[in-house]
Amino acid sequence: MTLLSVTDLCVTLDTPDGPAPILQDVSFELAAGQSLGIVGESGCGKSMTALALMGLLPAQARVAGEIEFEGENLLALPEAQLCNIRGRRLAMVFQEPMTALNPVKTIGFQVAEGLRWHLGLSRGAAEARAVKLLARVGLPQPRFSPDLYPHQLSGGQRQRVVIAMALACEPALLIADEPTTALDVTSQAAILDLLAEVTEAAGLALLLITHDLAVVWQNTARMLVMYAGRVVERGATPAVFERMAHPYTRGLFAASPGALEAALPAGRRLATIPGQVPDPRHRPAGCVFAGRCPRVQDDCLPAQPAERALDAAHGVACLHPCLEEEGVP
Amino acid sequence: MSELGRSEPAAVWREYWTRGRGSAAFVFGLGVTALLIAVALVSLVWTPHPIDAIDIPNRMQPPSADHWLGTDLYGRDVLSRLMAGAVNSIAVSLVAVGIGAGLGVPLGALAAARRGLVEEVVMRFNDFTFAFPALLSAVMITAVLGPGAINSIIAIGIFNIPVFARLTRGASLSLWKRDFVLAARVAGKGRTRITVEHILPNIASLLIVQMTIQFALAILAEAGLSYLGLGTQPPAPSWGKMLNEAQTLMSLAPHLAIFPGLAIMVTVLGLNLLGDGLRDLLDPRLRRQR
Amino acid sequence: MALFLLQRLTALVVTLLVASLVVFLVMEVLPGDPAAVMLGINARPDTLAALRQQMGLDLPAAQRYVLWLGGLASGDLGTSYTYGVSVWELVRERLGLSLPLALIAICLSTALAIPLGVLAAARRGRAADAGVMGFTQLGIAIPNFWFAILLILLFGVHWQILPAGGFAGWEAGAWPALKTLILPAVALALPQAAILARVTRSSVLETLGEDFVRTARAKGLTRSAALWRHAVRNALIPVVTIMGLQFSFLLAGTIIIENVFYLPGLGRLVFQAIAQHDLIVVKDLVMLLAAAVVVVNFLVDLAYAVIDPRLRGGRSYE
Repeated sequence: MTLLSVTDLCVTLDTPDGPAPILQDVSFELAAGQSLGIVGESGCGKSMTALALMGLLPAQARVAGEIEFEGENLLALPEAQLCNIRGRRLAMVFQEPMTALNPVKTIGFQVAEGLRWHLGLSRGAAEARAVKLLARVGLPQPRFSPDLYPHQLSGGQRQRVVIAMALACEPALLIADEPTTALDVTSQAAILDLLAEVTEAAGLALLLITHDLAVVWQNTARMLVMYAGRVVERGATPAVFERMAHPYTRGLFAASPGALEAALPAGRRLATIPGQVPDPRHRPAGCVFAGRCPRVQDDCLPAQPAERALDAAHGVACLHPCLEEEGVP
Repeated sequence: MSELGRSEPAAVWREYWTRGRGSAAFVFGLGVTALLIAVALVSLVWTPHPIDAIDIPNRMQPPSADHWLGTDLYGRDVLSRLMAGAVNSIAVSLVAVGIGAGLGVPLGALAAARRGLVEEVVMRFNDFTFAFPALLSAVMITAVLGPGAINSIIAIGIFNIPVFARLTRGASLSLWKRDFVLAARVAGKGRTRITVEHILPNIASLLIVQMTIQFALAILAEAGLSYLGLGTQPPAPSWGKMLNEAQTLMSLAPHLAIFPGLAIMVTVLGLNLLGDGLRDLLDPRLRRQR
Repeated sequence: MALFLLQRLTALVVTLLVASLVVFLVMEVLPGDPAAVMLGINARPDTLAALRQQMGLDLPAAQRYVLWLGGLASGDLGTSYTYGVSVWELVRERLGLSLPLALIAICLSTALAIPLGVLAAARRGRAADAGVMGFTQLGIAIPNFWFAILLILLFGVHWQILPAGGFAGWEAGAWPALKTLILPAVALALPQAAILARVTRSSVLETLGEDFVRTARAKGLTRSAALWRHAVRNALIPVVTIMGLQFSFLLAGTIIIENVFYLPGLGRLVFQAIAQHDLIVVKDLVMLLAAAVVVVNFLVDLAYAVIDPRLRGGRSYE
């Protein structure tokens, strides 16, 4: 059953120098209980996608398209009804646990707040539930009293609090925007394990946004690769990794350190993708990646290539996709 | 400011002018300030009537064609005295802010350059002067030295020292950590030379903005002191003193209480808007956001 | 918490000592002969000698300073030369007016400034914001004594609904006394409210940009719930600082405003003591006012600890 269906989502930011298209024609679907990864460089529109889903885009952003969640178009809903969905059916974990929590409120209060707001629980009942939620994310009493303040916890522990907050009202979809980027390596693995465990236990769909291919590989069933506000490749995670049809995906893979390094043939060095993501206000007419693409040809320049299916589980927006045998550049 | 060095100065000023014109508040502030200075300068050579011309039969007249803003208790022309009062306000405030910046900026720069004990002493001194608002220190000083324009300058000036010391220290501290200062230190330049060559030019715009705002505050403080009779002494015209005289005549000649206050308010408003406008123009961080 | 308290208390005592030393130096050592200042140049030698003895000027300065400090600590502020009564008596009498006046002014300015500041921040860039900002620009620029004169002109002279000056005294009943304090309190509060509203606005705007406000919105809180529950309390920290600093301006303001309205308060007492060259009273009052400012700022430091739990473990400099 389709839980979330995004169709032709476009976001334009009004800047003093004119409108800047941040997202262009982004479409994807997510079934209940499934996991989807969105990967790309910083500035490619991943976080904007998350904020658009939550309805928390900055005031100067204009949105077009459709976001259908549990049968309702979120973009057409009035703010009051959106507030009813946010935090209750649709929850989010943020990148920066150091700043995502209010420094002057106890963690117990912050976890309980959503329960009191949405479910109308009394203060006592909500705080009792908060204690259970904290224990579930690995912050058991008495060591982690709900009366602690965020500054008394480490980064990893704070991210656990943020996850407990997101889980509080038993949502159907959890959006995790770079949930481990700000953490040290040991906490990263533990937080990802925790996310996998709680989403599975609750039958919760997960939208995992990251720049790290290894995180997508380990934690998601399907994935999107985004570049300059567009989806350039999509498919089942193993299929995408097997072929890496878009030259950008290959570049991203070649440039990623960490767990993927083991998969690289000996002697192969980490590469960087030459050039920069084009400024949203001055994007070239043709394929958005053309300026940096090692395989660029004349027919790439007139227009953005449409997405086409390589097989049932794999699509790419490229006129000259790489073949599997070519290997990583 | 460091960005300024890269482009041609004339072009930079032209850019400031173009952008400054776009802000109504800035234009208003600049206009009022320019008008104030012009009026003060004109009053040095010409006023509609001599400022001390006593004319008892025509005292406390409402505004008329001859006396645009009326006459005071002694029949003196209010407009002429207002114009001459501008000189007094500007002179007292200018010297007071000069004292504050002249002592505060070196102190703050010293604290930032030396750190340690020097900084601690300077900052403690600062904290402490904040316990004495300008008026309280003025009260203390006038109690001992007697009232007068000079003493009110000293009192307002002293209160301005910690404001500039604090600002200079704060802004310099972050500069001392920057690479170009580090490079100068590696090149063997002394702390004083670095302060003069690199630190001060970089915080100049900040200081100019603060001076504008302190100037406005000084005008308010001077008016308050003269109103109390602790500042400029009669017969020299001053806006605060004029209000004091007007208060006793309030039911007879309310216009006397209106114009000096209006002059103070418009002046302070203009200076504050000028300061805000300058800050927006000169702050490179804001510039990039625009 | 104990360490934090101890640190702040030490700083408080040191600041008070330094302040007292400065006041003493300026008022007793700098003039050379304070008795001569008090009596003027035409004083008769025997009167001068008598006053010198009454002020203890034959003792060395250091000893006089210690005696004065001891007097301050034990509540013995000396005897006013012009009034012939103990300074403490004078202060207590005047405090009955100045303290309520200051409190009413603080309450007024806070009650006006914080909602206005929050409103302006919540409606940034819209008409309400522009209106509040325009009002604050005027409020900052208007000299408080002129504003007071305008209030008297309007309410006292023109409409005659509130007294134009003077103090009814508390023995006349609470309402008549309060009625005489309304205009002075408004005149004192307006410039303070203007500054406070600006600080509140920028502080709330800054806090609204914080991640935790977005987190609160992600929980489903409405815009205004996130604003009031999460942004405002955090934004109050700088606002409380400014309120502490403003207290000293409020005291300075009472010196002027009490004169505008002919109110027999502490501010007017300072002014009268200067006019009469009563250095004993001026010295004690300046010290008391400075001490009040220092103590209020100490209390503000404590208030931080209540608002911000991060500070309870001790506070770093800068």
